[in-house]
Amino acid sequence: MTKILVVDDEPQIREAIQRSLVARDYDVELAADGAIALDLAAASPPDLVVLDLNMPVLDGLEFCRRIRTWSSVPIIVLSVRDEEPDKIAALDLGADDYLTKPFGTGELLARVRALLRRGEGAQADHRTNYQLDGVSIDMQAHRVTRSDGDVHLTKTEWSLLEALTAHPGKLLTHRWLLERVWGDTYGDDVEVLRVFVSQLRRKIEPDPRRPRAIVTEPGIGYRWSGEATGDA
Amino acid sequence: MSTSRAAALLGAAPRGRMRALGFLIALAGPAIVVAVFLPFRDTLQPLTIGFSFLVVVVAAAIVGRLGPGLLAAVVSFLTFNFFFLPPYDSFVIARGEHVVALVVFLALSVLISSLYSRAVDRADVAEAKERELQMLQELSRDLVVRGPGEDTYEALVRDVVERFGFDAGALFVSGSDGGLDERVVVGAAPGSISPSWNPADPGRAPERLPLSVGNRTLGLIVLTGTRDPLDPAEVRVLRAVCDQLALVLERDRLLRAATDAEILRQTETARRNMLAAVSHDLRSPLAAIKASVTDLLDPEVPRSDVDRDAVLQVVDREADRLDALVANLLDLSRIEAGVVQVRLEHVDLAEAVTAEVDAAALRWPGVRIAMDIDDAHEIAIADPVFVPRVVSNLLDNAARAATSADARSIEIEIGPTVHGERNAQVAVKVVDHGVGLTTMERTQLFLPFSRLDERTTKLGSGLGLAIARGFVDLMGGELWLEDTPGGGATFAFSLQEAS
Repeated sequence: MTKILVVDDEPQIREAIQRSLVARDYDVELAADGAIALDLAAASPPDLVVLDLNMPVLDGLEFCRRIRTWSSVPIIVLSVRDEEPDKIAALDLGADDYLTKPFGTGELLARVRALLRRGEGAQADHRTNYQLDGVSIDMQAHRVTRSDGDVHLTKTEWSLLEALTAHPGKLLTHRWLLERVWGDTYGDDVEVLRVFVSQLRRKIEPDPRRPRAIVTEPGIGYRWSGEATGDA
Repeated sequence: MSTSRAAALLGAAPRGRMRALGFLIALAGPAIVVAVFLPFRDTLQPLTIGFSFLVVVVAAAIVGRLGPGLLAAVVSFLTFNFFFLPPYDSFVIARGEHVVALVVFLALSVLISSLYSRAVDRADVAEAKERELQMLQELSRDLVVRGPGEDTYEALVRDVVERFGFDAGALFVSGSDGGLDERVVVGAAPGSISPSWNPADPGRAPERLPLSVGNRTLGLIVLTGTRDPLDPAEVRVLRAVCDQLALVLERDRLLRAATDAEILRQTETARRNMLAAVSHDLRSPLAAIKASVTDLLDPEVPRSDVDRDAVLQVVDREADRLDALVANLLDLSRIEAGVVQVRLEHVDLAEAVTAEVDAAALRWPGVRIAMDIDDAHEIAIADPVFVPRVVSNLLDNAARAATSADARSIEIEIGPTVHGERNAQVAVKVVDHGVGLTTMERTQLFLPFSRLDERTTKLGSGLGLAIARGFVDLMGGELWLEDTPGGGATFAFSLQEAS
């Protein structure tokens, strides 16, 4: 059974999350702070962690920092509004996604499923294909086809697409994408990234203004939400 | 430079020197005339020589004023007589006409000297007055033009110190406890100039100029330096400046008192309105949730799944409303507390607006939202987190107006604008066709807890608009209201366009 570790100092939230997860047949462990959570995770490694950022004893950021030294378990961070810097810090420290409180159960479950799918070894290799409403992407053959013919992608656009699709469902921060595609030198030049994302969207999104494959998280980064259609 | 400037107020230093020069001319001039004309005294008319002496007298009067002029007249009179009127080399005069000439010469000399010097003295006085006035004007201009503030006071004290050749100066203002508080120090370290002076102290006495209105003393200017004591004209100018400064200080004080009172009054009103609005807005979704949940918990009532779903949907929707209200309250308090950090980067307005329009369409199912986006002008320099909040608040505001209008549609437009006199601005306009706003409503529009209709139970509309304006301000843009042609309101905001 899939095991999920829920870490939050507020019992109501902990129990509410536990109820909805147990009802979907997940095995749930609860921890009231980061220190307890680290012990539990070490004793029996979970498949996914739902982690509150604001906690006494050992907060969410510190938990991320420590657990990432020995585990790559997917982490969903829970935060309240206006904690943008903390969210970004958590993501840069290796968290995979975040949810803003209050959230609906449906949203939490969708994120959990997306991250677990990836954890199940669907660590997307570059042979996956994507089908987006009249646009098909063949990652292996480096081919994008729209209803009106083939679309040419530049070298940078391909490496950006590969960086995005390498972690489907994961929220990728601006900094992570910049380092992955352009190397260390670009640092915080979010503008370069924005321009290339916008170019790429015009080529692969059926409706670039309502992007479905490359989703923007304002002020934080991008997320690949394209559905894979299987190997080539 | 400064000493000569201050001295020039009365022209004191040059005058002493000019007077000495005048006496020199009065003595040396006749000697030169004698030396030049002595060889020709038999062939020249006495009148010619007399005129030459007259030149000397006029020159002495012009250069040295009355004293040297008169001296020149007397010396010339005697020299003329002694050397050039026969019999020569004696004060005896042989011919009657020469006596007349000599008397006329003397009278003319004295007359010219006194007339000239009187005219010049008057001109001097007038000029000194004018200089005094001009200086006063220059000194007080700052006070009038720049208005109250530390900068103004500092500029004035600095100006006084420089113009009058002091080394340093300080302005002290009477505090509420009756003591003197230092406000401005120029030319010395703060705290190094004392407002009081003891005659036993070493060094020179500083100039201490009280600032008072009526018989109330508002403060004191202390000037220190090694210059000569102030002369009467300088004292006049400084007194006048001090009087003006005192009036300005008094005006500041009254203005501050009045502003404080007004702010207190407004804060009090705002606080009352806020409490009323918040408790109302928080209670109504809470009441709906409580009623729905207790209804579900009641085991007595059998109900179908459809009924249960309907009740739960109310709970869900009301919880969202509550969340939106709390989020808005937090945003507003953070904006007002000045703790919001703005992060400006290139933001794709088309993408941000489209996402908010899609979200608003779900919140307002009965309202049709149309978009009109100018592709060439959709990238702005803005905060990626603020823009969606501004847009969603404006959309909610417009949708609220649309639900009570015939035309249940709103439009959102993105395009270039020249609003705010700056170029390369891009504007987002949210257009509704509701009943529009009266002048009275407009004045209260952006006050956080104003409501256009006391009976509406929706989120305080003023709250959303105040937040929108707060975020737009933080991004360096402007938010304004236009009339929609044909009726209704158009809320618009501008941002700097990315080049």
